[in-house]
This record gives sequence, structure tokens and C-alpha cells, in this order.
Amino acid sequence: MNWELMNESWPELLAAVPVTLTLAASSLFLGFFLALGISLMRVSKIWIFSNFAYFFVYLFRSTPLLVQIFLIYYGSGQFRDFFESIGLWVFFREAWFCAILSLTLNTAAYSSEIIRGGIQSVPFGQIEAAKAVGMSKFLLFRRITFPVAIRQALPGYGNEIILMVKATSLASTITLLEITGVAKKIISATWSPIEIFVIAGIFYLVINFIVTRIIQSLEIRLSPQLFRDRKSWWQSLTQNGKRTVGTQQTFR
Amino acid sequence: MSATTPALVAEDIHKSFGSLEVLKGVSLIANEGDVISMVGSSGSGKSTFLRCINFLETPDKGRIVVEGEEIRIKTDRSGRLITSDPRQIDRMRSRLGMVFQSFNLWSHMTIVQNIMEGPVHVLGRPKNEVHEDAMALLEKVGIAEKKDSYPSELSGGQQQRVAIARALCMKPKVLLFDEPTSALDPELVGEVLKVIRELADEGRTMIVVTHEMGFAREVSSQAIFLHEGRIEEQASPEELFGNPKSERCRQFLASSL
Repeated sequence: MNWELMNESWPELLAAVPVTLTLAASSLFLGFFLALGISLMRVSKIWIFSNFAYFFVYLFRSTPLLVQIFLIYYGSGQFRDFFESIGLWVFFREAWFCAILSLTLNTAAYSSEIIRGGIQSVPFGQIEAAKAVGMSKFLLFRRITFPVAIRQALPGYGNEIILMVKATSLASTITLLEITGVAKKIISATWSPIEIFVIAGIFYLVINFIVTRIIQSLEIRLSPQLFRDRKSWWQSLTQNGKRTVGTQQTFR
Repeated sequence: MSATTPALVAEDIHKSFGSLEVLKGVSLIANEGDVISMVGSSGSGKSTFLRCINFLETPDKGRIVVEGEEIRIKTDRSGRLITSDPRQIDRMRSRLGMVFQSFNLWSHMTIVQNIMEGPVHVLGRPKNEVHEDAMALLEKVGIAEKKDSYPSELSGGQQQRVAIARALCMKPKVLLFDEPTSALDPELVGEVLKVIRELADEGRTMIVVTHEMGFAREVSSQAIFLHEGRIEEQASPEELFGNPKSERCRQFLASSL
């Protein structure tokens, strides 16, 4: 291991972390709202909506993300005249735009299925109870269906967030210098893949460690009743498996 | 409202599921303060009838009138009845409190949030005022100390008492009970029946579908025996439970005691 090289390289890689985070955050943000729309179309009784959503999900889940990125970035160049004529070329000529667009479409397809699972797992009785107090369709979705669904979907969606953080590395193939892109650049100059990729890997580990903590605290915040009996890993080490008295649920 | 306007009128309600005709024309009039109990074997249509009253099931035929206001319904292309104004249905449902067999509390809200949800978000009443009402109701059903618990942390009997408080907080004109104790362990039935009995004593208008014959006999002002989608016998509880006219009703009571 060339420790000196590692010591010299990590600041440059650290400087690429914001690029990775921006790619992941913006595509996750946009993708979530798109996914919500797609999942509602998917559960819709209007066949043209549900079929469109089905086709969208099928298309973006069944092709590799790398192919999608290439098709959008290089493919759009072949239709430059067309994009110029409708005034969209200013977007498609940017690698940034193409990367975020393809990541957004991809995460929307996966997330919409996660959200759909959440929506369909909302107990029918809770929906009926909401109808019975006179909630309109919109109010019912906003106050009951969506909050219950998102709690069910959160663990699966956390998975998707982590996958997206890692998927941003594919943006390096279309000239973007995020963590992996910078790593490859340094490697091409130094011929030391191990040292550089170890640092890059550590950065991904740290980012995703923080992501999992955030998701977990969100889960606890949204469903505190599910975690009252739970001890942190530290407590379970020190208390040697003794149960905390008084926090267990009492029946009868 | 004049004293002659009934709180609830259901007239000639029909309902089929596929080829199975569950209700073959059931009618009922509930005046203010009436406690009407509906009994019958499973499959006789009592729950379906109750659900037709607030349109959780859309009846195939019939009229529903709440405090003189008739629900406007029309027939769609396939000849089924549909509601012509969803907002009228929502408004009408908010005046009919419903208590379900399986409680159906909203799992992501605490007990007090469950109770406040309808009055705040459907009726648009101020939060602090509703909170006071909610706490008073929790006190009344005897679980004020559980106000910040979640439904999954309560026993079935406690959950059903919360569900009753939730229905009451809407200040409904009529309360509909759909087998409120059928999903409870035997030792928890009593605490729920006690609450319902108190409501009956207060003079609330209620329709109670139940399998608790003794309870129905005690609290109701009118009893209905349903058989295969029709009203087989309708009488005072003393008559119906003590001296039933119909042979089927007699058999049913004999087998359920």
C-alpha cells in the first residue's frame, strides 16, 4: 500500500463528495414525486393510467441504468436538430442534466413499486373508518392512506436511497467528476487502483452509514410505538439481555 | 327540526353481491332517542344493511333520509345506483357515527389524535376546543390515561372504547354499531357494553347490530330480527326476545341462548 499516495489523494476525492451528494439528492427528490404520481396511476382503476405506469416501471426496471444513461446522453446527441427545434437542447447537451434525468427516471420506477406496496398494504378497515367520518377522497389520501403507506414503505425506500447513492457512480461514464469519476482520473495518472478505490469505498461507506442512521431515526419518529421495547446496540451489549421494565406493552 | 322528522329513514333497501341477494327490501325508521337492535344469524344481511345506511355499500335500490335530507342517488349506465353528489355523502356520513367490529383505529395516530381527526379535518373545528371534547370523551369511556398511546398498544376492549369516543366526537345524529363486541375476548365484552349502555341511557339514537341477546333486550327500544335479507319480525324487545311470533325467530333465539 502506498500510504503517501493515499494521504495525497483523499482531499481531491473528498472534494468530489458534494457532486455525488447533489446527484443523489436531486434525483431522489425529483424521483420521489414522480414515483408518487406513477404509483397512484398504477393503482388507478382507469386502465390507461395503470397501463402507462406499468409500462414505465417495466421499461426502467428491466434495462440497465448504464444503458439508460448512455441512451439519454449519447442518444440525445443523434437527435440534436429535433431537441434544438423544441428548445430542449440546452438541457440535453449537459451531462449533469442527462445524469439527473436518467437517475430520476430510474429511481421513480423502483420507488413507485415500493410506494404502491405501501398503499396496497393500508388496512381496508382504516380506509373505511375514514370514509365513515365523512372524509373526501383527497383528505383520506392525505391524512390516512399516504401516512400509513409511507410508514410501511420506509424500510424498502431506505434501501432504494442507498442504491441511488451508489448508482451515482455511473455518472462518471458521462464525464461527471463525482467520487468514482475523480478516482478513475487519479488512477489513470498514478496506476494505483487499490489505494484510490479504497478511499473512494470508504467515502461511500461513510455516506451510507449516515443515510441509514437518518432513515432509522425517521422510522422511530414516525412509528414510536414500534420501537419502545427496543434497545440500542450499545444497551444490548452492556445490559446483557435484561429487558427494561415498564416499557413493554400491557394487555388487559 | 320538528319533532315529527325521524332521525333516520331507510326505505326498501336492496343489495346483491353478484347473484347473491343479501337484502330483499329492508326498511327502518329511527326516531330521536330510539335504540334499535338488529339480530339474526350470520348471513342474514344485518351488517350489510348497516353499511348501506352510510353508503359503505351502495344499495341497489332504496332511499336513505337523514333528518329529512334525502341522499340523492341516480342510476348509472349499467342500471346500478350511484351517488350523484359525493360531497353530500361525505357530509351525511359525518352525521352518522359508525363503530366497526374490528375497531379500525388509524394505526399511525395516537389515541387522542384518532379522536380529534374527524372533528378537526372534516368538520373544521378549532383544535383546542376539539382537544377538550376528546379528553372529556376519553374520560367518559375510561381510558384518559392512554391518550398518547398508539392503538397497537391497547387491548381490544380499550380500542373499541376509543372507537366509540371517536364516533362520539363527531357529535353524530345517529350512531351505528356493527357487531361492536364480536371481535373481543369474552372478558372484554362487558366494558364495551357498559359504555354503549350509558349512551343508550343518555337518549342517543342508535342502531346496534349485535349477537349479545341479553344486552339487546335490556337497552333497546325496538328489536328487529332479520332472516335471509328480510325483516322477519319487528317488535319491542320484550316481545321479540320473550315471546317471538315467528317460528324462525324462536329457533334462532333458542340456538343462541
